[in-house]
Amino acid sequence: MGTLQTRRWYLIPGLVFLIGIDLVPLIYSVGVSLFNWWLVRPQEIRFLGLGNYLALVGDPTFRRAVVVTGVFTVGSVLVELLAGLALALLFAQPFSFLRPIRAVLLLPLFVVPVVGATMWRLILHPDMGVVNYYLNVLGLGQPAWLGEPTLAMIAIVLVDAWRTIPFMFLVIHAGLETLPAELYEAARVDGASWLQSFRFITVPLLTYVILLAVLIRGMDAFREFDIIFVLTGGGPGTATETIQLLNYRIFGLGHMGTANAVGIVTLVLVALMCFLLIRAILRPR
Amino acid sequence: MNGMRVVKGVSRKTCRGYAYLLASLALALLVVTVPAWAQTKTLNLSMLAGFKEDVLRANLPAFEKKTGIKVVVDSAPLGELYKKQLLSLSTGARHDVYFMDEPWVPALADFLLPLDDRVKDIDMPDFIPTTVEAGAYGGKQYALPVDPNVQILIYRKDLFEKKGLKPPTTWDDLLGAAKALHDPAKQQYGFALAAGTDPQAPLYLTLLLWSYGAELVTSGGRAGVNTEAGKKGAEMFLELVKVAPPNVRNYTFADVNKALQLGQAAMAVQWASGAKPLEDASKSSVAGKLGYMVPPKGTRNAPMRGVWTVAIAKNTSNQAAAWEFANWLSSKEFGLASTKFPSAISAIHNARVSVLQDPSTKAALPYVDALLASLRTAKGRPRLKEYPDIQEHMRTTTARLTAGELTLDNALKEMDAGINKILGK
Repeated sequence: MGTLQTRRWYLIPGLVFLIGIDLVPLIYSVGVSLFNWWLVRPQEIRFLGLGNYLALVGDPTFRRAVVVTGVFTVGSVLVELLAGLALALLFAQPFSFLRPIRAVLLLPLFVVPVVGATMWRLILHPDMGVVNYYLNVLGLGQPAWLGEPTLAMIAIVLVDAWRTIPFMFLVIHAGLETLPAELYEAARVDGASWLQSFRFITVPLLTYVILLAVLIRGMDAFREFDIIFVLTGGGPGTATETIQLLNYRIFGLGHMGTANAVGIVTLVLVALMCFLLIRAILRPR
Repeated sequence: MNGMRVVKGVSRKTCRGYAYLLASLALALLVVTVPAWAQTKTLNLSMLAGFKEDVLRANLPAFEKKTGIKVVVDSAPLGELYKKQLLSLSTGARHDVYFMDEPWVPALADFLLPLDDRVKDIDMPDFIPTTVEAGAYGGKQYALPVDPNVQILIYRKDLFEKKGLKPPTTWDDLLGAAKALHDPAKQQYGFALAAGTDPQAPLYLTLLLWSYGAELVTSGGRAGVNTEAGKKGAEMFLELVKVAPPNVRNYTFADVNKALQLGQAAMAVQWASGAKPLEDASKSSVAGKLGYMVPPKGTRNAPMRGVWTVAIAKNTSNQAAAWEFANWLSSKEFGLASTKFPSAISAIHNARVSVLQDPSTKAALPYVDALLASLRTAKGRPRLKEYPDIQEHMRTTTARLTAGELTLDNALKEMDAGINKILGK
């Protein structure tokens, strides 16, 4: 071990990596977002200052996309959390027949999102999909799952949940495994019911784990692209057009300044969400 | 053995001498048989993925053998191709040659090689005139027409005969026929179209706007959708959605074809490139039962032109080889081969009158007369650098209109406002 002075040199590779991979592209992106830069007219690049950001604030399409992103994020994380928690509690029970099922439960985690979404697009197809086939057999009609605004939002939330419930389940299940059995035994001796044990032992002790899982999944859901792109393309209308899909469109048309401004706003919103969740995680109890 | 290695009495030096002689002979042979500029040339082609790519790949060996030019095909689906080509060209051109849709030519013209001097040497009058316009911008020719797509009306002759209906020449006639043939209980629908978020949806709406006399951009350079004519066109669009399959808001180009192939739709306006698979009896239940004609009119016939063209990057170092390839791709030779390509799902048509009127083409493509007639009256989309933005704006607004997010009046207002904003008016 060297002196403190020497040891500081060991930081250099990490710092170079951090600056090269994170900071330089970020600063470049912030820089580009301050310009009117359209790839079609490269000779007409103009400095706009905060013009692109102000235009976004005044753009109803962008505001709508922020709301859609919020609804999708909250909806999918909530469904994933509840389902993941329920499954974790179920699999914490000492039933041996559950062990092989646990492996099967994890399968969606290994499916490439685009492939999974394409599969679900076929499953939910109004005419040829297996879901509507059985609904029709039961006399429940053939709803246009991806053609009605509310149904389309429900569909993308559920498909995203299908893919990520295993993650929530794994994290919470691992958290449950670490809880000391003595506490439950003591509670049982004191006459506590299962619900009381859950409310006063499991939930408080799992809070950190749950918040961490929500943080990771919240960030992912906020940036979700492939599933929504394949399933609805942002439609019907703009009912499922999230910030990411909007940005993809803007970028595709070559408006680099606006596209980078949307990217930076997304970063700020995700950072804000993380800040609030991390503060909740680290709050002294 | 030490020192010099001997093979059956021949020294290593002698072997090397023979090798040099053989290599020199091979090189001389190559110089004699292949044009000097084409030696070991490799072209990178940005291409549309799918059946057009299949036709190209099947015919490429003949071109490569003839010229010695190797063509590396980099394909992307339609939804990604403009993005990819814009990025490629604006960042120094990763590709030498671009197979591009005609509305992209104005937007990408600054990065493309003007071909005016070169086209003097080829048989330009053989091209249908409107297809040549597809590759021009600002008085210069930037691309050659390859695959002249155009909207045509496809209808079920058998159903029309059964009901005693005449093929429609106006949109009112078409709507009447569609209502007569619309029977959702039997999964039989009057008309098929894309009317959701798919890029085809605004093209259907634009066809109707044009048919009734409206323009996306007027000659004064301002939006021209929110007019009486535009309203009539948009109303007809919404009427057609009512006699279409229930999930047309999720329909794509392929879904429109599928609705025809499965016999669900009595009529559809479709790009001509979709017609060939409809005549394949192994995949289509309606093969031989279809009629083809120019799309109906409101106040005028205005089928949309969508010519796929070939252009060359301005800063490619392979200009001569790229021109050789572009010339071949738009040639009669490739046209005759591609129109008769033995695959039911493949259709690259050709912009040359001599190819479309060739008896062998007529035998291979039952719809070729409608294709030619539609092309002769076809209308091109605005030749503006901003057009891709305008089409995207029309796509989202059309999707919002059919999803019920906007009323018709508000949609027309928003279309105009958005177009004017894009044009800086």
